Amino acid sequence: MIRRWPYVALTAVVAVAVAIWAIPELDQRAFFGYVPTNATPTMLPSLSLDTRVLPDSAKVMLLAAGVTLLVQVYSTAYMGKDRRYRSYALLIVLFLVAMIAVVATDNLFVLLIGWEVMGVCSYLLIGHWWEQPQSRAGAMKALVVTRFGDLGLLVAIVVIGQTYGTYSITGAWVGAADQGQQHGTAIGLLVLLAVVGKSAQVPLQTWLPDAMPGPTPITALIHAATMVAAGVYVFARLLPLYGNDTTVMTALAVVSGVTMLLAALFALVQHDLKRALAWSTVSQLAYMFAAIAAGAADVGISHLVSHGAYKALLFLGCGVVMHAVGTSALSAMGGLRTTLPATFWTMTIGFAALAGIIPTVGFFTKDRVLESIHVATHGETPLPGGVAWALLVVAYVTVFVTAAYAMRLWMLTFLGLPSKQHVEPPSMTWPLVALGVACLALSIGEPLDLDTAALSTLVALAGIAFAWWRQDADLPGPVQRPLAAELGLDHPITRLIPAGTIGVARVADAADREGIDVYPRGGAVLAGLVSSAVRALQTGRVQVYASVIAVGAFVVVLVGVIAR
Amino acid sequence: MSLPEAVFLILSAVAVASAVLAVGSHQLVHAALWLVVTLGAVAGCFVLMTAELLAWVQVLVYVGAVVVLVVFALMLTRSPTGSQSAEVTRNRPLAAVLGLLATVGLAATVIAGFRHERITGRLPGTAASIGDALFREWVLAFEVLSVVLLAALVAAIVISRSGSENR
Amino acid sequence: MPLLYPLLLSSALFGIGLYGVLARRNAVMVLVGVELMLNAVNLQLVAYDAWFAETLHTGQVLTLFVIALAAAEIGLGLAIVMAMFRATGSIDVDEADRA
Repeated sequence: MIRRWPYVALTAVVAVAVAIWAIPELDQRAFFGYVPTNATPTMLPSLSLDTRVLPDSAKVMLLAAGVTLLVQVYSTAYMGKDRRYRSYALLIVLFLVAMIAVVATDNLFVLLIGWEVMGVCSYLLIGHWWEQPQSRAGAMKALVVTRFGDLGLLVAIVVIGQTYGTYSITGAWVGAADQGQQHGTAIGLLVLLAVVGKSAQVPLQTWLPDAMPGPTPITALIHAATMVAAGVYVFARLLPLYGNDTTVMTALAVVSGVTMLLAALFALVQHDLKRALAWSTVSQLAYMFAAIAAGAADVGISHLVSHGAYKALLFLGCGVVMHAVGTSALSAMGGLRTTLPATFWTMTIGFAALAGIIPTVGFFTKDRVLESIHVATHGETPLPGGVAWALLVVAYVTVFVTAAYAMRLWMLTFLGLPSKQHVEPPSMTWPLVALGVACLALSIGEPLDLDTAALSTLVALAGIAFAWWRQDADLPGPVQRPLAAELGLDHPITRLIPAGTIGVARVADAADREGIDVYPRGGAVLAGLVSSAVRALQTGRVQVYASVIAVGAFVVVLVGVIAR
Repeated sequence: MSLPEAVFLILSAVAVASAVLAVGSHQLVHAALWLVVTLGAVAGCFVLMTAELLAWVQVLVYVGAVVVLVVFALMLTRSPTGSQSAEVTRNRPLAAVLGLLATVGLAATVIAGFRHERITGRLPGTAASIGDALFREWVLAFEVLSVVLLAALVAAIVISRSGSENR
Repeated sequence: MPLLYPLLLSSALFGIGLYGVLARRNAVMVLVGVELMLNAVNLQLVAYDAWFAETLHTGQVLTLFVIALAAAEIGLGLAIVMAMFRATGSIDVDEADRA
C-alpha cells in the first residue's frame, strides 16, 4: 500500500506558500502593462529568477494552487490503488510549480521553461495509463500540437528581446510604453500561435478532446487550473506589447468567435460526458480570448478564474460519476440524482455556472465578457467595430448553445430513473463541496450590468428551454452528423500532416542516403584504395623496407640540396 | 702524376673490381675471398694516405677476423655452395638503381666540394701519434667503446646459447 | 695527391655495398655489403684526416672506432644469422618472417 498523505502534504505546502506569496499582491493597484517608476529592466541576454506578481497573476496563482490541492486530495481516492500513484502525484506537483513559474516570472526564458515543463507534464499525465493505445495517442497528440505552437512563443521571445533589448517582461513593458509598440503584429501573431496551441483554439483545438483518456483528475487540472489557462494568461500578460495592433486583435477575435461557437455546438451533440465537457472548455477559453480581443484583459482573467473553479468542479464530479458508473458514456447514466446526492448538488451548481445562471460566478464573469465586447463595438478599441459586432452576436449565440448543452448534460446524467446504488467516497466529495462553495462565494462583490444581465439570462433560459424540449433526442440528421464528426477538422492533423511529414521524411531519407552519404562512402572507398596501395609496400621482405628507407634518405638529401 | 698517385689509382681499380665481384659472385666462398681482396686494397690506400696504423688494424681486424668469421658462418650454416645459392632477390633492379644513385650522388657532392684540394701528408698517422691522440684526447670515447664491445660480446654469446638450448 | 681520389673510391664502394645489402638473398652476403659500406666511410674519414692534418687525428681515431664497432657488429650479426638458421633452417632473408 502506497502512503498517499505525503504527496497531499507536499502539495499543501506548495499551495500555502503560493497563498502567502500571492494574497498580499491582490491589493495592488496595478494591471498588465503598469510600469512602476523605479523599474530597472535588466539588459540582454539574461536568464534571471526575477518575479513580478500583479493582482491578476495572484488570482491565477491562487486558482492553480487551490485546484491542484483539491485534485491531489481527490486523487487519493480516485487514483489511490494505481500502481504508478507516486509518479502521478509528483508530476501533479511539478505541474503546479511549472504553472507558478509561468505566472510569476518576470523573465521570458523562465516563462518558456515553465511553459515547456507544463507541456511535458501534460504529456506524461495524459499518457499515465500508457497501456491503452488511445492514451498514448492522445498524449502524443497533445505534445506534438502544443509543441508546434511553442515554436511561436520561442520566436516571439527572440523578437521581443531584439526589439526591446531585454528579456524581462517588465522591461519590455517599459520599452513599449516609452517607444510605442514596435513589431506588434509579428510578436502578437507569434504569441497567438503559441496560445492557440496551448489553449486548444481553432485550428489547433483537437488535442484537448483527444486527451480525455487520461485520468479524470488530470483532465480537471489541465482544463481548469494549469495548461490551457496558461495560454490565456500569457497572452494577457504580454498584451501591452501588441494590444494596440488591429491585425492581432482581429485575428484573435476571429479565432475566438469561431472557436466558441464551434466547440459549443460540438459539445451539444456529444454522447460522452467527459468529451462534451472538454469541448465546453474549448468554448469557454474562447470567451476569455474574446474578452482580451475586446481590450479587457482583466475580464478575461476573471473569467479564467471563475471557469477554473466551475470546470474543476464539473470534471471532478464527472470523475465521481465515472467512478460509480464505470464509463463516461451518457447512455449509461441517468437517475444519479438520488444515488449520488452530493455530486448532484455540487454539479448542479457547476452546470448552472457554465450555463450562466445567476447567482453563480459564471454568470457574472460571462456577463462582464459580453459587456466588454459590447463596449468594444463603440469603436474605441483596436478591434474594428464590425468585427466587434459580429463577435458580440456569436457570443450571444454561444450563450444559447452553452445553456442548451449544459442543461442536456445535466438532464441526461442526473434525471430519470435510478438504476442501482452507488457510493461517494468522502475524499472525493469534499473537494466538490469546496469548489461548489467557491462557485457561489466568488460572485460576491462582482459588478452587475442590468441590461446585459437581462439579455444574457433571457438567452440562457431560451437555451435551457430548447434542451428541455429536445430531451435526449439528437438534432436533425443533417446538423447532427457533421457536428458529431466534429466537421472533420481533425482530418488535416491526423491524416494530411502525418502523410506530408512522411513524404518529406522519405525525400530527406533518400537525399541523405543517395546524396550526403556519397561523402562518407567515397571516403571509405578512397581509404580502401589508399590502403591497398600502401599494402603493396607491406611485403614482409626486409630488403624492400631498407630500399624504401634508402629512397627516403635520398629524397631528403635531394630536397635539402634543391631548397638551399 | 707521381708514383703514389698511380699506385693509388691501381689499388682503387682493384678495390672497386673486387667489391663488384664480392657482391655479385655466384659462389659464396668466392664472394668472401673477393671481400678480402677489397679490404686489402683499401688497406693499401690507407698506407698511401699516411695512415700506417690504420692499415695494419684494417688488415688484422678485417682480413684476419671479420672475413674468417664470415667464412666460418657460411660453413656453420651449411649454406649451399653451389651457383644457385648466391642468387639475388626480386628487389635487385631497385637495389641497382639505388646503388648507382648513391654513387653518383656522393661523387657529385665530393666533386662539387673538394675539386681543387690536395692531400699533403704533413702529419702521418703513425702508431705513436695516433696513440698519443687516442689516450690523451679520446680516452673517454675509447672506454665507452670498450663497454660497447663487451656488451656485444655478451649479446652474441647469449643469442647463440639460447638458440642451442631451444633445440 | 688529389683529395678526390679516395673520395670517389669511397663513393663507388658505398654504392656497391648498398646494392649488396638490398639485393643479396643470403644473410651473410648482406653483412658483407654492410662491411663494404663501412669501409667506404672509413676511407672518407682517413682522407679528410690526411687532408686536414690536425694533431687530434680525429678522422683516424674515429676510423679506429668504426673498425672496432664493425667487428662487434659482424659478431652480433653472425650470431643472429646462426640463431635464424637454427630456427628456420635457412638464412634466406626473404623467409626470415616465417620463423
